[in-house]
Amino acid sequence: MKIPKTVLVVGLLIVLAVLVAVFFRSGAREVIRKSEPAAAAAPGPAGAPAPPPDASAAQPTLKVSVFFVRPSDGLLAPEEREIPASDSLVQETEAFIAELIKGPAGDLAAAVPPGTKLGRVYITKEGTAYVDFSRELVENHPSGTSAELSTVYAVVDGLAFNFKAVKKVFILVDGEERETLAGHIGLDRPFSPDYSLIAKK
Amino acid sequence: MTKRRATIALAALLAAILGPAVSVLGPAAEAAEQKTIVIDPGHGGLDVGAKGKFGNLEKTVTLAISLKLKALIEQNMAYRVLLTRDKDIDVSLENRSALANNNDAVVFISVHANGSFRAATGAETFYMSLTDLDEETRKLAYLENNSSQLETRISDDAKDAVKMILWDMAQAAYIKQSARLAEAIQRELPALLTTEGRPSRSLAVENRGIKQARFKVLTGVACPAVLVEVAFMSNPEEEQKLIDEGFQAKVAQAIYQGLVSYMKAVGSRPPAPLP
Repeated sequence: MKIPKTVLVVGLLIVLAVLVAVFFRSGAREVIRKSEPAAAAAPGPAGAPAPPPDASAAQPTLKVSVFFVRPSDGLLAPEEREIPASDSLVQETEAFIAELIKGPAGDLAAAVPPGTKLGRVYITKEGTAYVDFSRELVENHPSGTSAELSTVYAVVDGLAFNFKAVKKVFILVDGEERETLAGHIGLDRPFSPDYSLIAKK
Repeated sequence: MTKRRATIALAALLAAILGPAVSVLGPAAEAAEQKTIVIDPGHGGLDVGAKGKFGNLEKTVTLAISLKLKALIEQNMAYRVLLTRDKDIDVSLENRSALANNNDAVVFISVHANGSFRAATGAETFYMSLTDLDEETRKLAYLENNSSQLETRISDDAKDAVKMILWDMAQAAYIKQSARLAEAIQRELPALLTTEGRPSRSLAVENRGIKQARFKVLTGVACPAVLVEVAFMSNPEEEQKLIDEGFQAKVAQAIYQGLVSYMKAVGSRPPAPLP
């Protein structure tokens, strides 16, 4: 009796350990995560990805597709980037937006006007990401339906495509809700992704 | 005797005054029965819209085309046409849709010139996207758009239901008709610009088709509504076309043709049988 009991206890402990491991490795992203106050989230104005500490060599990265404007037809096309992986969804999404703002490396065109900075990203429990841009998003915007759609969906589709936990995106400017981006597309409620603007290769 | 004469004179005077007044009332009453089409020249005032490389502004072109379109409709169709602006002034997006709703407009056409980050080209007609509506509104919109009354006009019952939708979401109830209007206009737009006559050859613009997007100016409009992006102000070649009066007239003509065929398709159908 005594020996089986120990075995049982050990067995239970193993099962528990496995369950805990599974729990923390899977759906834990649904939880709201706030980035550590300012320090990590507000480095360079362009929002350079969170500064890797000494262990930078071992820093795990996350592959993301960042969407820019394809000159031939104005559709959105991806460029692959690597951002620092983090257990904070907010940090990862902020790093993603930083890449979008940085602009394309290849032949594609920027989808966000020059001078735009990222304020912060907040993500609700339900998966709505509030992405707060500086006023340059509006002030430097060329205006026009196609240009506004490019900007909106480079942000919305990009986040939803790369981060499964993001279901909708609310674009804010200087911390506030705006009627339209630059006279056409309404920013007064959150966007669901619309992949019809993504080029089909 | 003099009193009587005075009475007659007074009666004559009254008749003289009332006569024309009555005949003035006639057309006025007719005009009240006449249905209204609202044309919305995009932007205006401080809001210049898309800017061309040569300094031309979207707001100027949209007004020029809209004025031509208004003239065409008034000459050839029995509709009253209202413009959301007839000069270079700021008009809020809310007031643009309110003009349509307050006048029971049957159609709302917003005229724009496109802008992009790169040298995109072409004409496209948009209608409202419903992808971001909440569940409740979407359900109601579905019912509205699939009612047997669709082919003719929205029934009074449905109108009450529409009123229950948040006012700023009114367009949801007309989405199917808006799609048809967009198709009708987009069918004419590139066709007319590319095929008819020799000079139009050089005015040709590419067909980008119909699309849906979340236009603030369309959300609150309680009638079939579209937004036409005539050509790209951000493309230097198309910018030159956009300021060409011949091109503007062609565009107005194309939108007008689309409107005529939409009205025909909608109006010629027999009323849906009662259940």
